[in-house]
Amino acid sequence: MELKKQKSTTRVGDGVVNMRKKSSRNGLTAVVLGFLVFSMIGLAYASEPLYRIFCQVTGYGGTTRIAVFDNKGLVAKNSITVRFDANVNKLLPWRFKPMQNKITLRPGEQAIAFYEATNVSDKPIVGTAVFNVAPFKVGEYFNKIECFCFTEQILLPGQTVQMPVTFFVDSSIAEDRNTKEVSTITLSYTFYASDDQSEVENLSRTSLEIKKSVDSLRRTQIIQPG
Amino acid sequence: MSNITHDHHDHRPSGWKRWAYSTNHKDIGTMYLVLSMFAAIIGGAASMLMRAELHEPGIQFITDPQFYNVLVTAHGFIMVFFVVMPALIGGFGNWFIPLMIGTPDMAFPRMNNVSFWLVAAALILLVIAGFIDGGAGTGWTVYPPLSSADYHPGMAVDFGILALHLAGASSILGAINFITTIINMRAPGMTFHRMPLFIWAMLLTAFLLLLAIPVLAGALTMLLTDRNFGTAFFAPDGGGDPVLWQHLFWFFGHPEVYIMILPAFGIISEIVSTFSKKPIFGYLGMAYAMTSIGVVGFVVWAHHMYTMGFNVETRAYFTLATMVIAVPTGIKIFSWLATMWGGSIKFDTPMLYSMGFIFLFVVGGVTGVTLANAGVDMAFHDTYFVVAHFHYVLSISALFSMYAGFYYWFGKMSGKRYPEWLGRLQFWVTFVGVNLLFFPQHFAGMAGMPRRIIDYPDAYAGWNMISSWGAYISAVGGILFFVVLYKTLTSNVKAEANEWGVGATTLEWTVDSPAPFHTHEVTPNIIPEPAE
Amino acid sequence: MKKNSDLLSKLLQKFSSMLPWSVALICMPLIQTSYASEPQPWQWNFQPPATPVMEQIIDFHNLMFFVEVGIVLLVLGLMVYIVVKFNSKANPKPTKTTHNTTLEVLWTVIPIVILIIFAVPSMKLLFFMEKAQNPEMTLKVTGNQWYWSYQYPDNGNFEFDSNIIPDEDIKPGQRRLLEVDNQVVLPVNTEIKVLLTARDVMHNWAVPAFGIKIDTIPGRINETWMKVTKIGTYYGQCSELCGVAHSRMPISVKVVSKEDFKKWLKKAKSEFASSDNNKMLKLAQLKK
Repeated sequence: MELKKQKSTTRVGDGVVNMRKKSSRNGLTAVVLGFLVFSMIGLAYASEPLYRIFCQVTGYGGTTRIAVFDNKGLVAKNSITVRFDANVNKLLPWRFKPMQNKITLRPGEQAIAFYEATNVSDKPIVGTAVFNVAPFKVGEYFNKIECFCFTEQILLPGQTVQMPVTFFVDSSIAEDRNTKEVSTITLSYTFYASDDQSEVENLSRTSLEIKKSVDSLRRTQIIQPG
Repeated sequence: MSNITHDHHDHRPSGWKRWAYSTNHKDIGTMYLVLSMFAAIIGGAASMLMRAELHEPGIQFITDPQFYNVLVTAHGFIMVFFVVMPALIGGFGNWFIPLMIGTPDMAFPRMNNVSFWLVAAALILLVIAGFIDGGAGTGWTVYPPLSSADYHPGMAVDFGILALHLAGASSILGAINFITTIINMRAPGMTFHRMPLFIWAMLLTAFLLLLAIPVLAGALTMLLTDRNFGTAFFAPDGGGDPVLWQHLFWFFGHPEVYIMILPAFGIISEIVSTFSKKPIFGYLGMAYAMTSIGVVGFVVWAHHMYTMGFNVETRAYFTLATMVIAVPTGIKIFSWLATMWGGSIKFDTPMLYSMGFIFLFVVGGVTGVTLANAGVDMAFHDTYFVVAHFHYVLSISALFSMYAGFYYWFGKMSGKRYPEWLGRLQFWVTFVGVNLLFFPQHFAGMAGMPRRIIDYPDAYAGWNMISSWGAYISAVGGILFFVVLYKTLTSNVKAEANEWGVGATTLEWTVDSPAPFHTHEVTPNIIPEPAE
Repeated sequence: MKKNSDLLSKLLQKFSSMLPWSVALICMPLIQTSYASEPQPWQWNFQPPATPVMEQIIDFHNLMFFVEVGIVLLVLGLMVYIVVKFNSKANPKPTKTTHNTTLEVLWTVIPIVILIIFAVPSMKLLFFMEKAQNPEMTLKVTGNQWYWSYQYPDNGNFEFDSNIIPDEDIKPGQRRLLEVDNQVVLPVNTEIKVLLTARDVMHNWAVPAFGIKIDTIPGRINETWMKVTKIGTYYGQCSELCGVAHSRMPISVKVVSKEDFKKWLKKAKSEFASSDNNKMLKLAQLKK
């Protein structure tokens, strides 16, 4: 539509008056818009917990579940292979590997697997493991009962530990159209140096106390080195 | 009543205060345009350095590869936040929204001033960021862990984050200003369905800004605290995930590209209608096409993340949703053509640039349809094919719209008429330059050349050489632009109030050229022309 | 600022020396003459496919390409017509047409139809790329700054690093920026599961001839599959900005017959350290 400017019935200065009259309405509009702005910022911060909940509920991205083993006797017919993968972040001076390449089991059966980690540096370090499974779509069927990844691990210099993970694959994996043809699941861990290394200080204090009592014991008794 | 205007003029500041303390939408618009030109020189220089380095295989003169990555990053940020947005939104938006809707100024003139100076400060911070602690060599996408404190120690990324916070705040305040102005202050009789399409475009752009930039702000703050205050939003060792950054950034990043192109759509609609001496074909279709592009643009972000490794159903959704945007875009292209059809067109420089825009946006748009498909994107992701695509829609189309708006409106802004022959020369040099620059990049990408690399396998040398020559020619086009600017400002040829004749039907052509400091002090009443 | 003037003089020097290079390149043949597994000079098309996935990608892309070229030519044709017929001299009186329902419906519906025509093969391709395979072996790929490491967990569980051969060590006939010291060796016509991760920042493992390109993200395992149907050597490059040497961490895959693969495995198991005692671990500084 074409706009035509008609000879105006308003007077010079009315534009300014017009602006002043509108200022309260403008203010209200601005407040509403400002509210939208803060809502979007809130949404950005809420994204982290929202994504996490979404992943946990749906198993998205290979997010696994934590479960109590409930053996209803439901076991799938066909076996599935679970292979174990280990990675270490570049900034963590540990060696980390699975103690078995793979385990074959039937969905519904429980199994235990071991990983081994060695601290090859000269300082005690707290490590934390992140994990996922591949292919991602089996995430919601992969349940961990006990896992070293549930807690942080502290390793002394040179120390090697074996860490278990107890798990089962839910038998309903065989009924899901999407996942029933999956024959191999890869469970992968990556160890990082923990953000929070405060346990190391506690350890130092504790080990210092232990050393003190061992020393005093040594003075009273001869302790043969093992 | 006359008392009020008299006082007004008595208190108008002069000298540096006129600019520093400005509450005048025209002056603020001018400052934005000047800032944009200044930033274009810096961002353009960065790209010239990169193209000169890439002219041949091997390292030519950039011996520090981190500096190359810093150039990549700086070029992206500067062009997006300090050239395109200030020019189209801060510059033309501020200048012509009040003029076109018949109101003396924006809803919040002082906040308008704050918006501008925030951008100026942000630009300074960003340039500084490039020179301290090795600079930020992360790309404008700033993905962690590369952007985390482990892999970019020092303050460069933090300065960059601060700069973007300021620029983002500026845009949010500006968006509030624009929306309030357009919704509340249109002249009586100018209903939503009688607004110029440029106003529609600016209103939608402002809404996109309002909703998208806060998400960027949140993400930037999370990165800042990850880097400096021990949080772990994106760090797996604290329970975070680098992928979260990608979601947040692209949730902002995709609407951002529509923020850059919607104002361009508005400008092109005005120019095409004016020069064809016909109203825009299918006004409602155009307005709602822009609206649906803006809305759908919010739900397609993960097409920037197809190779990240998320599940196939999600990739399928994003493929289909992204392709949907082609439909309203096609409506716009054909509507512009239909506007021109049957028109009586004089192909002056603004129209030349508009024609260039329409054609080259189609070229860029169709490669976008190719890239929308997650399957095919496996071949194209992070190759020069993507670089070619987005430069066609931005560095060619958005740039053409900036030039088009300049040639269309400069007479109104300055009161001087530009030399038409020089404008046409500048157009053709630029046209040849940008096509030589970006078209060969499609081929390099198909052959497998990755992005963001300082050096490439020798086989890619041919296309890179042509592309670099195109860059130098485009630079000549840019220099010619400043020649046009200079020649116009120093000439004696006056521009008319209505430079473009019967086709120019929007309200800015009813005021003098140059537009007086205060306009629409008498509020116009808008009546539609009786139907024939 | 000293850096800038150095840059400037180097720039000027380079400009003057660029001329002979430019002329030489222009004289090179414009037609692609031979198929190979690496980019060719002046190549304007995909590298020849070596997997069924890449073949499908190329087929689907060709469909889109021809339709899109058609659209571009249509718009160009319309614009040429407009310039000729509707310039102010040829058509002094403009019409007042602002609506035509038929046209508006057509240019909404026809693009939708075209998109549906694209969507069908697009979804087929996507789900084909995802199809669960029965892989016969696994390759684990880890991205590092700035090299790739490869592990063969099913075939002896050994691991090795694959470093670029720097420019100064490139011999004639080798390809600058694409050659590595230890190639990934894989058997032809074998379904291979690929597991991917990274140890520091994000990288991306890509081989154009395979149609494979997956981000490698620290703290996360990604999975895909491939089946290479042609014996040969294939090159790719890291495809996610990962720092200063992002351009210098190539991927080189040698696909051999199944018998040759078995022979190579024997050699590799003894030559490369077992994953158990792998890699030189640098005692990196902890963040704190």
